[in-house]
Amino acid sequence: MSASPRTNGGELDPALLAVIANRLDSVCREMTNTLLRSGRSAVLNMARDFSCSLVTGDNQLLASAEGLPVHVFGSQFLSEAMCNLHPDFAEGDAFLHNDVYLGNTHSADHTILVPVFVEGQHLFTCCAKAHQADCGNGLPTTYAPFAGDVYEEGALNFPCVQIQRNFRDIDDIIRMCRRRIRVPEQWYGDYLAMLGAARIGERRLKELTAKFGPPLIHRFIREWFDYSERRMTHALKQLPSAELTGTGAHDPFPAVPDGVPLKVKVKIDGEEGRVEIDLRDNIDCLPCGLNESKTCAINNVVSGIFNSIDPGVPHNAGSFRRITVHLRENCVVGIPRFPTSCSVATTNIGDRLVNITQAAFAQLGDGYGLAEGGLGMGPGYGVISGGDFRRAGAPYVNQLFIAANGGPGTPHNDGWINYGLPVVAGLMYRDSIEIDEQKYPIIYKMTRLLTDSGGAGRFRGAPGARVVYGPRRDPMTVVYPLDGHINPPRGVLGGHPGQPCYAAKLDREGSERELPPVSAEKILPGEFIVGVDTGGGGYGRPLDRDPAMVRADVLEGFVSLEKARQVYGVIFNGRIEDESLSVDAEATAKWRAALRGQSGA
Amino acid sequence: MTYRIAIDTGGTFTDLVLADEQGGLALGKALTTYERIFAGVEGALKMAAERTGAGVGEVLSRTDLVIYGTTHATNAIIERSTARTAFLVTEGFPDILVLREGGKLDPFNLSYPPIEPYVPRRLTFEIRERIDAEGNVVLPLDERQARETLRRLAERRVEAIAVCLLWSPANPVHEEALGRMIEAELPGVPYTLSSRLNPIIREYRRASSAAIDASLKPLMQRHLNDFEQDLRRAGFNGQLLVATSFGGVMHAGDVVQRPIYLVKSGPAMAPVAGRTYAEAEVGPRDLIVCDAGGTSFDVSLVHDRTITFTRETWLGSIFTGHITGMASVDVRSIGAGGGSIAWIDSGGLLRVGPQSARAEPGPACYGIGGTEPTVTDAALVLGYLDPGYFLGGRMRLDADAAAAAVAKIAGQLKIEVKDAARAIMEVAGDHMVGAIKDITINQGIDPRESLLVAGGGAAGLNIVPIARELGCRQVLVPRTAGALSACGGQYSNIVTEFTQSRFAYTGDFPYDAVNRVLAEIAASMERFEAELRERGLTRFAREFFVEARYPYQVWELDVALPRGRFDGQADLDAMIEAFHREHERVFAVKESGQQIECVYWRGRLTATLDGPPLRRAAAARAGAPVAHSRQAIFFAGHRELETPRFHGEDLSPGTAIDGPAIIDEPTTTIVVYPQSRARVTELHNYLLEIAQS
Repeated sequence: MSASPRTNGGELDPALLAVIANRLDSVCREMTNTLLRSGRSAVLNMARDFSCSLVTGDNQLLASAEGLPVHVFGSQFLSEAMCNLHPDFAEGDAFLHNDVYLGNTHSADHTILVPVFVEGQHLFTCCAKAHQADCGNGLPTTYAPFAGDVYEEGALNFPCVQIQRNFRDIDDIIRMCRRRIRVPEQWYGDYLAMLGAARIGERRLKELTAKFGPPLIHRFIREWFDYSERRMTHALKQLPSAELTGTGAHDPFPAVPDGVPLKVKVKIDGEEGRVEIDLRDNIDCLPCGLNESKTCAINNVVSGIFNSIDPGVPHNAGSFRRITVHLRENCVVGIPRFPTSCSVATTNIGDRLVNITQAAFAQLGDGYGLAEGGLGMGPGYGVISGGDFRRAGAPYVNQLFIAANGGPGTPHNDGWINYGLPVVAGLMYRDSIEIDEQKYPIIYKMTRLLTDSGGAGRFRGAPGARVVYGPRRDPMTVVYPLDGHINPPRGVLGGHPGQPCYAAKLDREGSERELPPVSAEKILPGEFIVGVDTGGGGYGRPLDRDPAMVRADVLEGFVSLEKARQVYGVIFNGRIEDESLSVDAEATAKWRAALRGQSGA
Repeated sequence: MTYRIAIDTGGTFTDLVLADEQGGLALGKALTTYERIFAGVEGALKMAAERTGAGVGEVLSRTDLVIYGTTHATNAIIERSTARTAFLVTEGFPDILVLREGGKLDPFNLSYPPIEPYVPRRLTFEIRERIDAEGNVVLPLDERQARETLRRLAERRVEAIAVCLLWSPANPVHEEALGRMIEAELPGVPYTLSSRLNPIIREYRRASSAAIDASLKPLMQRHLNDFEQDLRRAGFNGQLLVATSFGGVMHAGDVVQRPIYLVKSGPAMAPVAGRTYAEAEVGPRDLIVCDAGGTSFDVSLVHDRTITFTRETWLGSIFTGHITGMASVDVRSIGAGGGSIAWIDSGGLLRVGPQSARAEPGPACYGIGGTEPTVTDAALVLGYLDPGYFLGGRMRLDADAAAAAVAKIAGQLKIEVKDAARAIMEVAGDHMVGAIKDITINQGIDPRESLLVAGGGAAGLNIVPIARELGCRQVLVPRTAGALSACGGQYSNIVTEFTQSRFAYTGDFPYDAVNRVLAEIAASMERFEAELRERGLTRFAREFFVEARYPYQVWELDVALPRGRFDGQADLDAMIEAFHREHERVFAVKESGQQIECVYWRGRLTATLDGPPLRRAAAARAGAPVAHSRQAIFFAGHRELETPRFHGEDLSPGTAIDGPAIIDEPTTTIVVYPQSRARVTELHNYLLEIAQS
């Protein structure tokens, strides 16, 4: 905490390295806090579907405290676009970027970029990326799986367009957005929140640099990346060298009747501490919105890697040096060509890439990798729209975050409840039933975790939920692109898959009818839409699970008595109702031995 | 002579402050005795009473007020020794306490075990009923089903019941009916209705409030009764008041009705002490109050003479702990203190904490088994601590053991031991800077305009560089810094709050409905005031607050209302304007001309208890202060400097000491770094002035 540059044997003072790194994280956190608390749409202020990050002047990701992985790995491509397209950018500028061909994730993620100048030199770029409640798509949803290309998608495209000059809005751009984006007041409030976050980051970085001086900051950046690389190398050296191939598939739906097969090749060099991912052996881009953007293809496999190693490794350009990702042009998980649509790039196939990668690491043996996590953007993540009778029919559009896909079993513990999706891994918040009902003219009937829904295993996948809601007085449209019905999250090393998901409708009489996996459904008053979420996959064989944990699961209603007996091989005495349930150790051992004999394991 | 006693029972130590009517304060400290809290209190009182020449019984019999701060409720929750509690909830939504609000730290770390809900699912029961967002009954309460459920609870040996139905703040009719049925079916079983305790919208927070409150009822009733009886038996016949999370006190009989107010009440008293001392020393200023102990570093704030509140108080870590959901003093706590352990990670970076050596095995220099290098060891290596005068000489520190422990770090970093010790202090100090920045950012307070108040045994070691880093020019270290929370008890008032939920949009403001709500809150305050008058209190203040937001936002800001009624557009405009100002202060932007949404209305009743007078001593025109020793001490950027060492009791008011210097007080040590100066004030506190680079 001294203002003078201090060195020791040619390296930066050990305290100073830690101190400046902490400061950068705290800048990101301050940006995050600003955006969360001043954002207007529920996507931001309830669900926290946004991320803040800092990039260096030479376009390397520097810090991203608590950002969503799917958002922040790739910020460097956005700032690169700013440097290339606006070579004369200056202090006071801000840019709006949502273009998937220039490094953005998908069109619904608006990014505000603010270059930070110190003594006339561009030292950093502050990025605030937020999923919008609406982005001007043809249908009232920010996910357009059916769109054959960007024209059908319909979103307003901003290939890194200048939105502020000299700290003032360029009103043309604001007017364009206000004209085409549904509920423009909400959009503008969110824009202000994003801009405020980026400007706060700018202010703090200037203070930081003024304190330590640009030379020391440059030096810090260099050493921090070197340090991060050392941590990453060390983490990868804990793994055996191997070449692994993970496969999986996105469920079929009308635009892709056979589903989307996916292959992730992982090459680990445990001696050198390197990892290579090859995604080139996959099909070409599809005429629908499921294609990965380049950024999503990279960041989702990188997430799968980071999920499988020491979580303490810093996630920045330094640790990225040990990772190589091979992509191919015009590949569904590669580099899309204009006008390929990547409307749903951040979730569906993105979720699959995270899962396939982390499960591939489990091929290294017990103790490595993870099972597949719960996925599927069912009605619990639906984008709802309509008019609110309580506000003279005022239109509303927003995504709900009330689903509960279960987290994957890991080598050490059961899956995380409220995992959400692999691409967010539990970071996002979930809605409050009451706040949703206050803001939208809807009523919930149920949000309930389901018995036997988590994949069985030595460590069980987390359970999935059943969510039921409907409109109160006027019809409502619900748009959702659901995956995980045909191909539910798989277990690894003998673990079982989680429960598959599905969407359904309850009619006025209360009878349930299944809905297509991808749809824009009109729900009438008196009807309800149902989303059943996936459970996470299990890790290891269920017969190896500690019987005391099975007992707790039975008492808590996560596992039925029957499944405890048939799948986990646990025999009980006593009753659930009075909690006298106890494990019959001897009978359990015998029964498990018999079951193991049957399965030949 | 009559006395007033304030007690703060912490996890390790029980602090006690004995005040006489002239304002003389004596501190006592003893180990906390969990099985019978009074034993530790008696030990601390014995120490504090030494100078009076009177025995414990005599002092107690002449004490008119005991103010008791306890971590008992907090500990019971953490140790899961609360009552076996059932949770009643609207049918279809049994997982409110399981699903919570989501969120998680550490993006790529999936090896967190799943969170256990505050009440397990096996003790969660669904009640058939439903109310909508406007308070209309959609499905009437099925009384037969409810009664059957309650009868099942009796069989399940349930000791307390929490009730949280959807939209009960908008219409509590079903919760109230359930309350009556519980009294009929399960007489004597304590219960909490969420709409009475904490009528806020957001079912998880309200449910969590109710569950925590209900689960504490049997336990805290017993605990406070036992403690009061022990006091009475020892000769006390005054009034027993208990510290609450409002940063005030309440009568023991009132607080057992809502024991959630006891959760995290101890740290909530530190800003009360900070405000009292700071106002007496420098007048009203924004304050940052730090309390640095062995294992944790707590920060709270005072803005506009008001202690800042939050609805985000977690027991345990954010996301994985349990939220209290109540508006309470905003105290941020991080695991950083004298016991924090230094280590080197796999990339070669020096880290400090979050692991702590705690009281056992303790820092290496305690000589009771610890071998890992801690912040205390680093301070000893640097010469900041006097091994012969720790805790006023009651505990001897082992300097060799400290050096050996820190040498492990030095070896790995290939630097000298003293450089390693300095680096450890700096990294630890930086965590504290981070904690202060987090809370000041959240509450929109500029550290550069604020006075830092430092309490706790470990705060004086590095508060100067922390202040310098934050841009604070002045730091107040009270002489009683070692027992800041207990001191807060001495200067606290009776504070209670009443909340109602009533949505109001200023674009179409429902004057009558809001005025009705405010009148109901005022009536509640009136009733409570009448009770307090019967107990001899005479001075009262009432404040009103609204929690409001811009349209589409979901997080509210607290705004004080000039009065408890809206008579027209002018009153409304004043509130809207106050909201814009507050939004700009906290988030750096405002949207002038925009309407606002009012969500909750709160009334706060304060009954003034006259604290002991602050005793001023005229500045003596003494000569230069006399150091009892001098030694070469290592400071960053200076290497070793010849540094005098003073005992606080030898310094008279008015004395100024330029850094480098060290002042030892029995319960704290103040390191006056180079380019800073300490002045002994008339109240015998220390005001540090820090030159900004």
